Amino acid sequence: MILETNQLTKSFGLRKAVDNLNLEIPEGAVYGFLGPNGSGKSTTIRMMTALITPDEGEVIIQGKSVQANGNTALTDVGALIERADFHKHLSGETNLKMLARMDGTDMSRVQMVLDRTGLGARGNDKVKTYSQGMRQRLGIAQALLSNPKLLILDEPTNGLDPQGMKEVRDLIQELASEGITIFISSHLLDEVQKICSHVAMISLGSLITAGKIEDLLRDSDLLLTEVHVNKVEEAVKLLSDQSWIHRCEAEDSVLRVGVGQEHITEMVQLLVKNNIQVSAVIPKTSLEDLYLSKLGTESQI
Amino acid sequence: MLGLIHNELLVIIGRWRSYIGFIGISILMPLILWGFVHGSNELHQDYVRELGGTFVVVGNIFNAFLATYIIMNTLWIHIPFLITLAAGDSVAADGSNGIFRITLTRSVSRLKILISKLLATYIYTAALLIFCAFWSLGVGSLVLGTGDLITIDNGILILDESQAWIRMALSFALAILVMCTVATLCFMFSALVNNAVGPIIGTMFLIIISYMIMGIPLEFFEKIEPYLFVKYFNVWWDAFKDPIPWGEIGKKLGILSLYSAGFFGIAVKVFLAKDIKT
Repeated sequence: MILETNQLTKSFGLRKAVDNLNLEIPEGAVYGFLGPNGSGKSTTIRMMTALITPDEGEVIIQGKSVQANGNTALTDVGALIERADFHKHLSGETNLKMLARMDGTDMSRVQMVLDRTGLGARGNDKVKTYSQGMRQRLGIAQALLSNPKLLILDEPTNGLDPQGMKEVRDLIQELASEGITIFISSHLLDEVQKICSHVAMISLGSLITAGKIEDLLRDSDLLLTEVHVNKVEEAVKLLSDQSWIHRCEAEDSVLRVGVGQEHITEMVQLLVKNNIQVSAVIPKTSLEDLYLSKLGTESQI
Repeated sequence: MLGLIHNELLVIIGRWRSYIGFIGISILMPLILWGFVHGSNELHQDYVRELGGTFVVVGNIFNAFLATYIIMNTLWIHIPFLITLAAGDSVAADGSNGIFRITLTRSVSRLKILISKLLATYIYTAALLIFCAFWSLGVGSLVLGTGDLITIDNGILILDESQAWIRMALSFALAILVMCTVATLCFMFSALVNNAVGPIIGTMFLIIISYMIMGIPLEFFEKIEPYLFVKYFNVWWDAFKDPIPWGEIGKKLGILSLYSAGFFGIAVKVFLAKDIKT
């Protein structure tokens, strides 16, 4: 595990923001962190990055306790916590150089990460002239500065317009494809589903569920695929007999089938072989379904 | 550590507020010097009257040294205020602007960051006083000329020009150390809160109240006077005593250092345990 939290607990006054939270983030995973507003996501992330001291428990990054070792445990970590704020009266490049100087990062990486985040041409401009999307990209640039193995991103697309959100999302996907472990909290469930391999959901500071997205969907009977066929009853009978089909029911003239991604081709072949015409196969399951089933429809993500 | 100090100086240099002190001095000093040029006869007469019967004064005793000596006597509220404008921002501004969310997640200890901020504040403080010396002594010597320095506050002391330069340098060096105590106090307040105005008000409030207490001739206040750090601000004045009371200077600087260490200690304790929620 690249990152673990052990019985992490934090209270603000009488309110318990995080309660006995245990998480395990495997190396190379893109880990989504979901929960309603006020569920303790930001507090957890701030404890992971040494911004907040837990009352109990600890965060372990690459075997080093953040609480015992302080910021030295964050050597291989890049973080962007909520909005990216910089010295606005200084240029993006100067801001990054200052951060590089802090932890002895090679100065040549400054231009590298500026180019990487699409800010290469604007590096010499003052941050106050940047759009919110550019500032957020600069935030990701600073997180990448020390060539981290683990990237912790707290609501990185917050406050961005659709274009800005797309820019940041594309960048995160690109980084994930390079094998950097990413721990990300986001309001956008479809985005998390697109880019994350794992997810954890918390509510009122407590862990509700965690694991691989596909496993969670399968276990919760939410891994559904809509199949349009010409002989509905026959198809239901045929599919219900298969061990790898979790469930199969007809709704109007459409089948709703609980089937893993790896068995979809097999399912279509089976139907066709039995003279059932398949006109459409539409994956219908979303993380939102899982989220709502776990945390309730009242929750605001 | 040098890299961190470099960073902090870049931030100070980049903030317009840091220039208020320099602009203020650049406006105030020429005005004072202009006033001295046009009112020097009157001041000269006052001095001669004070010395009357004891000395025969030939020529003008009013020069850049005496002007600087008088200026230093009058700026003990203004200079701390100008210093707090930068010192108040040093920690609090990073908190309120969300900069700590970036800097404190890097693999650098909070203590190192805090020390670098304090040292940068000290450098700013020294720069401000050196700028003050540049105007009063540097420009003042061009406008008013130089010569012997005659002070009459602690008895009559006459210093020749070469001695006057040395005493002035010592005096400014001591003034820098005094003002570093003010900067540390403001720095402590800056570490306690998340806005820059609070530290400025807190520091000036403490200094003014302390001066007021020292000015009240009541036994109770006289008893607490030794515990007020502003009581030792006048250490720069010892540079103009003959012989220079090194023991007294050392004692006063020691006490001021203890206060500074205490202020910084509180800042460290608070900052290391501070939850960054903004």
